[in-house]
Amino acid sequence: MTAATAQPELIASDEDELPNFVAKKKLGFGFWLAITWLIVIIGAAVLAPVLPLKDPDQNFVQFEEKENPITGKLTESPVQPPYSPSSTHIFGTDQDARDMLSRTIYGARVSLVVGFAAIAFGMIVGGTLGMIAGFIGGWFDRIVSFLFLCLLSFPALVLAILITALIDRSLFTIALTLGILAIAPVGRLARAQTLVFAEREFVTAARTIGAKNSRILIRELLPNVLIPMSALALLGMAVSIVAEGSLAFLGLSIEKGSTWGKLILTGSGISDLDKAPWIAFTPIIFLFLTVVALNFAGDRLRDYFDVREITV
Amino acid sequence: MKYWLQRLGMMIALLIAVSMLTFGAMSFLGDPLFNILGPIAGDTENPENVAKVQAAKEQYYLDKPVPERYVRWAGDFITGDFGVQFSTDGQPPVSDLVKERLPRTIQLTVMAQILALGIAIPWGVLSASRANSLTDRASTMTAFGFVSLPQFALGIILLYVFGIKLDLLPDTYNATDPFWGFTHGHRLIQLILPAFTLALPAASTYQRLLRTDLITTLQEDFVLMARAKGMSRRKVLFGHALRPSMFSVLTVFGITAGALIGGALIVETIFRIPGVGLAIVEAILREDFPVVLALVMIVTTAFLVLNVLVDLLYSVLDPRVRR
Repeated sequence: MTAATAQPELIASDEDELPNFVAKKKLGFGFWLAITWLIVIIGAAVLAPVLPLKDPDQNFVQFEEKENPITGKLTESPVQPPYSPSSTHIFGTDQDARDMLSRTIYGARVSLVVGFAAIAFGMIVGGTLGMIAGFIGGWFDRIVSFLFLCLLSFPALVLAILITALIDRSLFTIALTLGILAIAPVGRLARAQTLVFAEREFVTAARTIGAKNSRILIRELLPNVLIPMSALALLGMAVSIVAEGSLAFLGLSIEKGSTWGKLILTGSGISDLDKAPWIAFTPIIFLFLTVVALNFAGDRLRDYFDVREITV
Repeated sequence: MKYWLQRLGMMIALLIAVSMLTFGAMSFLGDPLFNILGPIAGDTENPENVAKVQAAKEQYYLDKPVPERYVRWAGDFITGDFGVQFSTDGQPPVSDLVKERLPRTIQLTVMAQILALGIAIPWGVLSASRANSLTDRASTMTAFGFVSLPQFALGIILLYVFGIKLDLLPDTYNATDPFWGFTHGHRLIQLILPAFTLALPAASTYQRLLRTDLITTLQEDFVLMARAKGMSRRKVLFGHALRPSMFSVLTVFGITAGALIGGALIVETIFRIPGVGLAIVEAILREDFPVVLALVMIVTTAFLVLNVLVDLLYSVLDPRVRR
C-alpha cells in the first residue's frame, strides 16, 4: 500500500511535464511581466533627457550648518559624500555626490545599445553564415563549422579583452567585439534549423516548381529560422550586456560615458561597499532585473517555439 | 578508434587555429616595444636609441616577418619553452610565471566544480522527486536568478554579505598562507567566497538540466520496476535514476569549464587572487605576447582535453554508448 501511494508521487509529474499537444501553449504572466520591465527600462533609457531626472553629471553637494568651534557662529559646511538614499536622491549618490538613479538610467543607454548592437551584428553575420552553410553544405559548411568551433573553444572573455585592449575602447569596437563573440552560437543554431527545415516538404515543393536557391533561402527558410532565433536574440542580448559589464569591471569598457559595469566598478572597492553599498547595488539591481527579464522572456519564447538545439 | 583519431586531429587543428588567431591579433594590432624599452621605442632621431630599438627587435625576433616568428614560437612552445616575458628585463621566464600562477587557478576552479556538483546533485534530485511542488517551483526560480546574475555582481554581493557585513570569511587573498590549516588565514578558507562565486551559477545550470533529465528518467519502466519490487524512494533516485540522468550535466560540465575560465578572470579580480585570470588581464594590458600566448594555449588545451574526457565518461555512465 505504501508503495502504491508513493509511486504516483515519484512519477507524478507526467501530466505537467509532457508537452500538452491539445491545449494551446501560452507565454504566461511572467513573460509579459518581463516584457513590461524591458519596455520600461528601454523607454526610460530612450527618454532619459526628457524625463524629470537629475543631471547625471551634476554634483549635488549638500551643506549642513555647523557651529564654528572658535567663533561660535553657525556656518555652512559641505558634507562629505556619498550620501545615503533619501527623498531627494532615492538611490543615494556616489562619491562625487552625483545622483545614482539618473546615472543608472543614463548608464542603461550605453549598456542597452551595446547589448543590442552586439546581438544584431551576431545575428546578421552568424545567421547568414549559418544558413548558407546549412543550405549548401559541402566544403563551405565544413569551413564555417570549423570557424564556429574555433570561436567557441576560445575563451570568450579573453578574446574580448585582447581586441579591446589592442584596438581601442570606443562604443563601436566594444559592440563589434561582443558581436563577433555572438557569431558562433547564433550561427550554429541557424545552421541546425536550416538543416531541419531544408528536409521539409514545402522546400521540396518550392524546388519542384522551379524556385531558385536564393528564393528558397529568403522566402522559405528565413522566416522559419528567424522565429526560433528571436528567443536566442533575447538570451544573446542578456549575455552581451553581462559581457560588457565584465569588460567594464576589468577596466576595459567604453571610455566615454557611464555603463552599468562602470557604475558597479566605482562602488565595488571594499571600503565603498562597506560604507556606501548603494553605489554598487543600484546598478546591480537594474542590471539583474534586465538580465532576468531578457533571459526569462527568451526562455519562454524558446519553449513556446519548442526550439531544441539551442546553444548559448 | 577512428572516431577518437578524428577527435584528436580536430583538437590539434583547433589549437593551431586558436594560436594563429592570438598570435596574429597580437602581432598586427599591438606594439610591444614600448613596454620593453619605454618611450625611446618611438625615437627615430637619436642614433643611440635607434640602435637600442634595433637590438631589442633582434633580441625578440621582432624584425622577422610574422609567419617566421609564428613558426619559431610554435616550435619552442611544443618543446615546452614558453620564451621570455616582454618586459624590461624579461624575468622571470614565462614558464616560471605559469608554474606560479596556474596552481592557484586550478585550486579555485576545481573547488568551484566540486562545490557546484555537490550543490546541484542533491538540489536537482530534490526538485525532480517533487516535481511541480512548491519546493520545486521555488528552487526553479532560485536557479533562474543565479543563472541571470552576472558573475561580478554575485561576487560583489557575496563579498558584501559574507566578507564585509558578517565578516565570516576573508575578503582578499594572501598567497603566502598555507593551503591547509586551522587559522582564519589559510588559503582553503580564502578560496571559499571566490569558489562559491564561480560555483553558484554553474550549480544552477546543472540543477536545471539534472531536474529535466531526472523527470524523464523517472517515467521509465525500470524505475517503476524498482519501486514495484519494494525499493525505497531514496535508493531508486540515487541508485537507479541518477546515473542515466547525468548526460546533459556532463556535457555542460565540459562547456562550463570554459565559462569558469572567464569567470576566474572576474573572480580573481574581485578577490585579488594572483592566478592565471589576473595574469592574462595584466599581460594583455602590457602587450606581453609570450605570456598571453602561453596562458591562452594552456587554457584552451585544458578546455579541449576536458571535453574529450567528458566524451569518454559518457561510455562509463551509460554502457549503451560503447559501440
